[in-house]
Amino acid sequence: MFEPGCLPMGGHHMSQPAYGSAPRHTAGGASLSTDELAEELNRVFAEEIEAAMRYLHLANAVRGLDRLTVEPILKRGFSETIQHAEVIAQKIRALGHVPRVELQIACPGEPVTARESLRIALTFEEAALEAYQDLLRRVEGDVPMEEFIRSQIALESAHVAELKELLVG
Amino acid sequence: METWKEFEHNVVTHSAAHHLMAVDDLVRKLGYARVSDVARVLGITRGSVSVSLQPLKEAGLVQQDENRHLRLSAAGQSLVDSIKTKRHVVQRLFAEVLGVSAEQAEIDACKLEHLLSNETARRLVSFLRFVDRGTAESRRFFEALRSHDSQCSHEPSACPSCPSACLADTLRQG
Repeated sequence: MFEPGCLPMGGHHMSQPAYGSAPRHTAGGASLSTDELAEELNRVFAEEIEAAMRYLHLANAVRGLDRLTVEPILKRGFSETIQHAEVIAQKIRALGHVPRVELQIACPGEPVTARESLRIALTFEEAALEAYQDLLRRVEGDVPMEEFIRSQIALESAHVAELKELLVG
Repeated sequence: METWKEFEHNVVTHSAAHHLMAVDDLVRKLGYARVSDVARVLGITRGSVSVSLQPLKEAGLVQQDENRHLRLSAAGQSLVDSIKTKRHVVQRLFAEVLGVSAEQAEIDACKLEHLLSNETARRLVSFLRFVDRGTAESRRFFEALRSHDSQCSHEPSACPSCPSACLADTLRQG
């Protein structure tokens, strides 16, 4: 569910390991340098920012009677996705980097049905989930980062599950 | 129908054409293509790729298997092949025949590749075949073309190509 206030902010997220600019090699085999990790986080940052923009657009593009039920869901998606982006930005800052985002997004100025809006949301939420799953594999061995990414995966999985449930039938 | 409205009826948009070509290039290079690979190739987010691919899947141009690997359908492959051919032909026409710089020719070919009709592309292929034959006629054609370019007097009244103002002069900026 899109639960209000479900920010992935466990205590461990704020206690960052000290990363240097040189490649770091952890016991678990992760060998991403700080720069590489920041780059990976920038990618998911872009995913979240773009998803938020899409949610905002969809919330205002959906038409029909079902708008009454779908609009709050889409707006909640927007709020939570922006929160996710902020958490990622904090992670990037903690690495000594400034979050960087380059987007190429086009949202057509045409109305969409409630069902279509949810289908589109499911499409980009699944993409975000896959991005976190891939990132998890890349940070293997960096336990705090692994835990953080796992918490993000749990949240994204919940989003995907809810959207799938809404689209049944 | 007004010509500009034909853009709306084009089979694929510029963006969609690049998504299709990225899938094709990745499958040729790696043997597979995933959304993440396409995103990296195009320098955009996975979300954007996924949303853009959806109508292409619905149109039957792209297929995705149970491992979420992408591949082009026969129709998608045919479309990509024709777009790549058009890019190649237009690029050669601009660079080799008209003398546009290689870089600009590539940029302009990229802009046109998905918009050009097959009919026009076929005529361009025919023209390039004439050029590539390297016969005395084609060599004379090139010599005449290049010497003619340097002979523009910028005098519309003396030019059969310019209706009122000098066409070359209108393109001096930029």
